[in-house]
Amino acid sequence: MVDSKHQWKAWLYLAPAIILLLIFTVWPIINTIRMAFLNNYSLQSEIGGATFSIGIQNFTRILRYKEFKRALLTTTLLCVITVPLSTILALIIAVCLNSIKPLSRFFQTIFFLPYVTNSIAIGMVFAAMFNIVGTIANFNTPGVVNNLLMALGFNPIDWINTSSTYTTNMIVMVIYIVWNALPFKILILLGGLQSVNKQYYEAAKIDGTSRFRTFTRITVPLLSPMIAYVVITGFIGGFKEYSSIVGVFGDSMGPASDKGRLNTIVGFIYDALPNLQQGRASAAALILFVIIFAVTMVNLYVGKKRTHY
Amino acid sequence: MEVRLQNLTKIFPSRNKKNPEEVVAVNDFTFTIPDGKLIGLLGPSGCGKSTTLYMLSGLQKPTSGRIFFGDDDVTELTPENRGVGLVFQNYALYPHMTVKQNILFPLQNLKGADKLSKEEMLDRAYEAAKLVQIDELMDRKPSELSGGQQQRVAIARALVKMPRVLLLDEPLSNLDARLRLQTREEIKRIQKETKITTIFVTHDQEEAMSISDLIVVMKLGVVQQIDKPQDVYDNPKNLFVAKFLGTPPINVFDGEVKNGSLFIGEEKVMNVSNVPDKKVFVGIRPEGFIVDPKGPLTCKVQNIEVMGRDVSIVSSNAASQNPIIRSIVDADVKLDGAEEVKFSLKPHKVFIFDAETEERIYLDEVK
Amino acid sequence: MVENKENKIIEEQQPLEVEKEESTLEVESKENTKEATSLNVMHEANLEHVSNKQKVVKILVKVAIYAFLIFMAIIVLFPFYWMINSSLKSVEEYKLAVPTMWPRRLMFSNYADAFQVANLGRLFLNTLFVGVVSTALSLVITVLTAFAFARLEFKGKNALFGALLATMMIPGELFTITNYGTVTAFGWTHTFTALIVPFLVSVFYIYLLRQNFMQIPNELYLAAKVDGTSDIKYLWKVMIPLALPTLISITILKMMGAWNSYIWPNLVANDEAHRMITNGLRNAFTDASGETNMPRQMAAVAIVSFPLFLIFIFLRKYIMKGVSRSGIKG
Repeated sequence: MVDSKHQWKAWLYLAPAIILLLIFTVWPIINTIRMAFLNNYSLQSEIGGATFSIGIQNFTRILRYKEFKRALLTTTLLCVITVPLSTILALIIAVCLNSIKPLSRFFQTIFFLPYVTNSIAIGMVFAAMFNIVGTIANFNTPGVVNNLLMALGFNPIDWINTSSTYTTNMIVMVIYIVWNALPFKILILLGGLQSVNKQYYEAAKIDGTSRFRTFTRITVPLLSPMIAYVVITGFIGGFKEYSSIVGVFGDSMGPASDKGRLNTIVGFIYDALPNLQQGRASAAALILFVIIFAVTMVNLYVGKKRTHY
Repeated sequence: MEVRLQNLTKIFPSRNKKNPEEVVAVNDFTFTIPDGKLIGLLGPSGCGKSTTLYMLSGLQKPTSGRIFFGDDDVTELTPENRGVGLVFQNYALYPHMTVKQNILFPLQNLKGADKLSKEEMLDRAYEAAKLVQIDELMDRKPSELSGGQQQRVAIARALVKMPRVLLLDEPLSNLDARLRLQTREEIKRIQKETKITTIFVTHDQEEAMSISDLIVVMKLGVVQQIDKPQDVYDNPKNLFVAKFLGTPPINVFDGEVKNGSLFIGEEKVMNVSNVPDKKVFVGIRPEGFIVDPKGPLTCKVQNIEVMGRDVSIVSSNAASQNPIIRSIVDADVKLDGAEEVKFSLKPHKVFIFDAETEERIYLDEVK
Repeated sequence: MVENKENKIIEEQQPLEVEKEESTLEVESKENTKEATSLNVMHEANLEHVSNKQKVVKILVKVAIYAFLIFMAIIVLFPFYWMINSSLKSVEEYKLAVPTMWPRRLMFSNYADAFQVANLGRLFLNTLFVGVVSTALSLVITVLTAFAFARLEFKGKNALFGALLATMMIPGELFTITNYGTVTAFGWTHTFTALIVPFLVSVFYIYLLRQNFMQIPNELYLAAKVDGTSDIKYLWKVMIPLALPTLISITILKMMGAWNSYIWPNLVANDEAHRMITNGLRNAFTDASGETNMPRQMAAVAIVSFPLFLIFIFLRKYIMKGVSRSGIKG
């Protein structure tokens, strides 16, 4: 609109951001690709004057690593379980919140509370709730969750301590991650629900549509863009899961008896850094990027097919 | 302040590479606006009237041509150095500032010798506010004002700098019909009081007619006619101007001049002795028809709308460019369900245009 | 607590049954409506019947909804309760086989001890410093960049903005690998610079603010130009006040991000002088024998959590607004 001879002024405004982005975003993208495709790359060796041949050894190698496969499995499992679980639960809670008037805001505040937490700190609280002091056969304190199980007539379970299994560890993580993921999803879905035109519901009521049918045929389709958004961000976050596991299990990423049992892809990348295995880390990061990209695309594609308006 | 536009031209380079056509927004506009007058720039959207206004304000630079305020060549000056006040269509009031802060804002930008003390600024702000009668509302926020009041604040903000030229961009189009009438008068009054040369842009011909001292009609970047409002209506220079002004709009017929006579269809409606034989368009204002059983023009009656003082006859004729012809005649005329009506025409309400150039062909009798 | 929880579960089962009942009721009532339309004679009587049943159903549904929400709220709140409950117990009381629902004696000393043992004061100051400096600098950069993209004209604007947005698709971990090397090469390890500079530009915040700036009508900018307002003054006097809610949202989220950051500080500046609060939290309470003083640890967790709650209570509106548009944490 305005004639601007002074283009340099605009670049002056942009300069700080562009310089920082070049150093800390653009260069890393280029460099990561470079490192990933240099066989056996390590920063230390490069400084030492070593040269590397171009190839895909980093990829083939980490795909054979047991640690990487385990991390990939754990991450995928956590995603596949927690995203649908938290989305459905959030949807139900959002629909309930949307259908009540008194105390609605009060409940909203409560349900948002887990969002404003430090995931390491609250992970430690979850660890405390599931923790056993002593051994499962001879415990001092079974932990409050086990107290509850015992009161209901079940045997206590070793959730996270030395005799725990992969399954019980995962159950704890699923509970914590879902607990942590709910607020954001509820917020988005409730926002979506509140913007749905009330007339659709009135029309459905006049047609004598049952509550369940109204939910599946009106609410869910109208909410589909929000659901898609929540699922996509859920998967992206899920594949980057790391700090919640540190919260519960500590840097060892697993019970003391089996360190690294619950390591994730991100954990795998970070483990490689202090060991100066940048080639390996870069390859893993690119694989993570491809996974996230693919999942996003699939979700968008499905979302588009499912969204009918 | 006299404002002089000299061969003013604005060409926008094409936006996309596939379609390299340039857009000529304003083409070779030369005109002198007399001091202290209210000028209406009138035309449909895309005619270049807003671009002209923005070039006057300095927000856009002309591609070629010059602009003078009095004897000063202001073409290269930035907006703030021109001494113009600009009122926007949507008022552009700063929503987070009170009315007072909005009006003070331009004054706080003054630098150097023009710098005012706090008291002077307040005095000026209240003066401007009083002029547009909003001095009671100084501590309100724009959102607490009606559309008309917001408009007044915008005008006050433009006037507070005591501009040499006041520019108004579609000042009334965001107001409802009743307020529009009222604000129209208000703008006229303020302009009379301040005697600031004022240029306003509008697409509403009625608005332009009602308050301008002079109307500039524009189409596709080219000035069509500059005249007093009544002259633009009574004496349009071409078919476009004739069509653009007037409600109901002018009726246009395909016609032909043969041997000094004007024909519409097969009917000879007028003598036009000075015009050579050719195809023409005939424009007849709605009030140019007289119901006359002996009249030369025959039309099929479709509908009759009684409007109190007048009667509007909706009829049709094969030669008419529009499916309907609208004529306004005296209410005494009784048609009583007749299927046909015969009209004679008032010569000064009939305009003849060349069918190819659409330029007016002037007749001896009228001129 | 155990008893409480049991009760809750029983309560929860009841509404479930109610829900079942209610759905059968609904089916019946619908059949009734059908009959009503087919048999005109029965019309009135049936309608009355239906409306009574519907009223009952409505109330039962409401009860079920509230019961469900209360149950979920208890689950959501329980960890917080347990954190505070545990943080106020003595070590002996904490180790009881059947835990107490509320401390027999409130051990506020745990908080003081936690502060000392984990050197929380120092961690707190470090985090505050990093948070304030990085938020302030980041805001300046974000505002300038968003303004350029929203209001100024320059060649390649759209292409550049598109490229910027594209980087949002890439997981941050990908950058971390190289940035770790870069920061080391710059000699920034174990400095606050390393904690602040790499994260000053957030494409998302630029995007958010630019969108906000774009909503401000262009005429305001033109009006200011006519009045001789400089770009900077316009930005400061008009755009920033109008975009203030977004700027507050960004500030809060950025501060929360610093407060909660763990991975990057752990890599580049995990020394005593620069350690951030989250990094200091995890291992501070385990003594030489590997035993953890849990009440003290919970006290530390509570100390770290309280500022977040305070911010939430007072600035809830801005947080929720920012979050609902972001989908990212911190």
